[in-house]
Amino acid sequence: MPCEISDKSVAEVKIVSKKRAGIINPMYDCQPAGAQYAGIGVKDSIPLVHGGQGCTMFVRLLFAQHFKENFDIASTSLHEESAVFGGTRRVEEGVMVLARRYPDLRIIPIITTCSTEVIGDDIEGSINVCERALKKEFPDRQIYLAPVHTPSFKGSQVSGYDECVKSMIKTVAKKGAPTGKLNVFPGWVNPGDITQLKYYLSEMGVDATLFMDTEDFDSPMMPDKSIQTHGRTTIEDLQDSANAKATLALARYEGAAAAAYLEEAHNVPNHQINTPYGIKNTDDMLRKISEITGKPIPDSLVRERGIALDAMADLAHMFFANKKVAIFGHADLVLGLAQFCLEVELEPVLLLIGDDQGSKYKKDPRIEELKNSVHFDMEIVHNADLWDLERRIKKGEIKLDLIMGHSKGRYIAIDANIPMVRVGFPTFDRAGLYRKPTIGYKGAMELAEMTANAMFAHMEYTKDREWILNTW
Amino acid sequence: MPMVLLNCDKDIPERQKHIYLKAPNESTREFLPIANAATIPGTLSERGCAFCGAKLVIGGVLKDTIQMIHGPIGCAYDTWHTKRYPTDNGHFNMKYVWSTDMKESHVVFGGEKRLEKSINEAFDEMPEIKRMIVYTTCPTALIGDDIKAVSKKVMSERPEVDIFTVECPGFAGVSQSKGHHVLNIGWINEKVDTLEKEITSEYTMNFIGDFNIQGDTQLLQTYWDKLGIQVVSHFTGNGTYDDLRCMQQAKLNVVNCARSSGYIANELKKRYGIPRLDIDSWGFSYMEEGVRKICAFFGIEERGEQLIAEERAKWKPKLDWYKERLKGKKMAIWTGGPRLWHWTKSVENDLGIEVVAMSSKFGHEEDFEKVIARGREGTYYIDDGNELEFFEIIDLVKPDVIFTGPRVGELVKKMHIPYINGHGYHNGPYMGFEGFVNLARDTYNAIYNPLRHLAAVDIREGAVDSNLLFREAV
Repeated sequence: MPCEISDKSVAEVKIVSKKRAGIINPMYDCQPAGAQYAGIGVKDSIPLVHGGQGCTMFVRLLFAQHFKENFDIASTSLHEESAVFGGTRRVEEGVMVLARRYPDLRIIPIITTCSTEVIGDDIEGSINVCERALKKEFPDRQIYLAPVHTPSFKGSQVSGYDECVKSMIKTVAKKGAPTGKLNVFPGWVNPGDITQLKYYLSEMGVDATLFMDTEDFDSPMMPDKSIQTHGRTTIEDLQDSANAKATLALARYEGAAAAAYLEEAHNVPNHQINTPYGIKNTDDMLRKISEITGKPIPDSLVRERGIALDAMADLAHMFFANKKVAIFGHADLVLGLAQFCLEVELEPVLLLIGDDQGSKYKKDPRIEELKNSVHFDMEIVHNADLWDLERRIKKGEIKLDLIMGHSKGRYIAIDANIPMVRVGFPTFDRAGLYRKPTIGYKGAMELAEMTANAMFAHMEYTKDREWILNTW
Repeated sequence: MPMVLLNCDKDIPERQKHIYLKAPNESTREFLPIANAATIPGTLSERGCAFCGAKLVIGGVLKDTIQMIHGPIGCAYDTWHTKRYPTDNGHFNMKYVWSTDMKESHVVFGGEKRLEKSINEAFDEMPEIKRMIVYTTCPTALIGDDIKAVSKKVMSERPEVDIFTVECPGFAGVSQSKGHHVLNIGWINEKVDTLEKEITSEYTMNFIGDFNIQGDTQLLQTYWDKLGIQVVSHFTGNGTYDDLRCMQQAKLNVVNCARSSGYIANELKKRYGIPRLDIDSWGFSYMEEGVRKICAFFGIEERGEQLIAEERAKWKPKLDWYKERLKGKKMAIWTGGPRLWHWTKSVENDLGIEVVAMSSKFGHEEDFEKVIARGREGTYYIDDGNELEFFEIIDLVKPDVIFTGPRVGELVKKMHIPYINGHGYHNGPYMGFEGFVNLARDTYNAIYNPLRHLAAVDIREGAVDSNLLFREAV
């Protein structure tokens, strides 16, 4: 790389909205998809999606693509007559069929879609009808029915996830004896991240509940052929969320609404922090946990931090410095990755975040922090689609050394011959990424190494100074 | 008792009418499973929606056409990166999807302006593309946006572009099948016979109901080239929008997938007198029969025999190697509909495999007539099977391999049963002679995978014979 010295003393961070009305290659799925992801995070839960069959079938396929697992999600199979006369009867039938055929079922999040919101089906009314019918037919069982209003013409999978977590908490949380536990809302992360978080909590001796605990979304093939693919957060966990000592919300757009609700309705103090991507954000998280619980940060985590720094130091100023990066995906992920990039001397020049929450993003303290800390020009596009990235590359408006994002953007990297690190959701074109942490010290290290390896492979395929690695 | 009530269905006894166990000497008509009927809510059915039947299965295959989906973002997102239909122009069809990204204000005030803007933007952003299909979705159909009027307006302002509209919201019909029908009939009504192309052979046909899954269309095209037959249009594998406007020019319609595309063949016969010839493109014996029928129609039987002889010489020994090792293995097929009757006899004749259970997502009763006629006795025939039924059927028939979608494949993996992607294939193409050897190879590799036998071993129980099936050099 030729020596480039920026002649500008002040770097600019520009926040713009996508200029086109339509979308070419979306970054996100719609609200009901995100709600389904939250809904499967609870044990003995089968979400019931009130809409056309495609709204469920494709989302189940999407989860299967990402996790290489099957998840149970039901549909009310809305048809014409419901579109004309209303579909609440199909909700009621769906609930009863699920209750009868799945004896272990304990919660059904009822997730609306664009069609049933336009029709105006009264979900709360249906729930009342169902609760009476369930009580009569199954007097010894309690099956919670959570109304999740997620019209597809609002927000995105991100807000749908947030809405469903909140609705399940709202439906099940019940004031009782204090548990002394910590509620943790990790946001839309991978099983590998959940494992990592649990490790930190256990090393610190903190008794915590994760909403949602998706560790078993990476599930085994067992000799007894049992199927263990399900959320680990239980109904009891949801009930006791109201009785925790405090709440720690790790994502601003994914689960934060539930955390705020618990504070408002049940006086559980809520601590909103930055999603722990990178070293500093992880430091802040561990300090915050220590502050809330009074538990010290143990030596083991100081050591893990050191291992991560040691590995990242081998890469940063030799390979990453001055490299221009575009990042796309969920806002919590993208802003967190941008912070991580700065730590390892990568230059995230373009951030693409989605859906229609522009004004909300402007208040995000991470953006303020980026404004104060970057030494290069950065563009943040909200309500963005993937064409915003592809067009800039094709028109030569931007020169990139790396793309970070999920698999839906794979062809941008393939066609423009730019190395790409798969991160976020979904990552179906790489094996096993759901198992790898991206948060915490270990996650930062894994991300840095994955980035370096993507660059190294690219150097080899393009015969671009690949000999450097002869002696590295 | 030929219609079967499974244990898991005791609370939804109407499912009995959808599951048939073939017994000797029965009139299959008497016991035909009910099909193409509404799904019971909450059953965890495998079905998709009518919109995806139109967009994902047929329209979205075209290699030169913008797919503009008028609705919220999910309908576009969900019907993108879920299919394996490459093209010879760099897979334009798989790389992009377009949406009007409808928001609440458009539900309230109408979304036509948004659609018009999105259409114009799409053409502006990709000026080399001049063709488009616009689809309605559930909410835009409910609020009554007139997508046809908007498309006409754009076409009058941009004379170089052509737009086709499909009004098929997800809630229409009972499955994706409805979408196939709407697109078929819309296309013949509005676009066929609006263009003529150069005819270069006296033998011309449309090849209908083949979507170039992993290159099926391109493989079969090598046969038509050898036979000197000009394919006027492919409906729609590796196809172009404009070729499909010329369907009226062909002398013969050859139909592979009768379920998704039989409608347009029937209409072409009715309106233009073009005969319809149905063939099966999977399997040696079927493919030979298909080539013979087509060649007989054109009076070029000798060319056909020569092609068959060449292909057999090249591929039959390989097929037989696999047949030797697959003989007597048990297969289940849980796919859309027609592949049940395309495959059951071909895997039996060509590979000695026994198909022991079949479930169709969107087949009609005529599909069941065909599959039951071709299928084995003692085999289960299921309409719109759901998850608990699958578990029970697996227990009853104990298949060695299941041809189904990737998600169900992940489910049955836990039960140590390998799956083959029955929709997008593992490593296809699977059509034609070479293709069926690919299918045989993938099936062999699945069944002879050591991992599923290792999965059955409980290491706490000490060393036992793990029953590994040993692979051999091909």
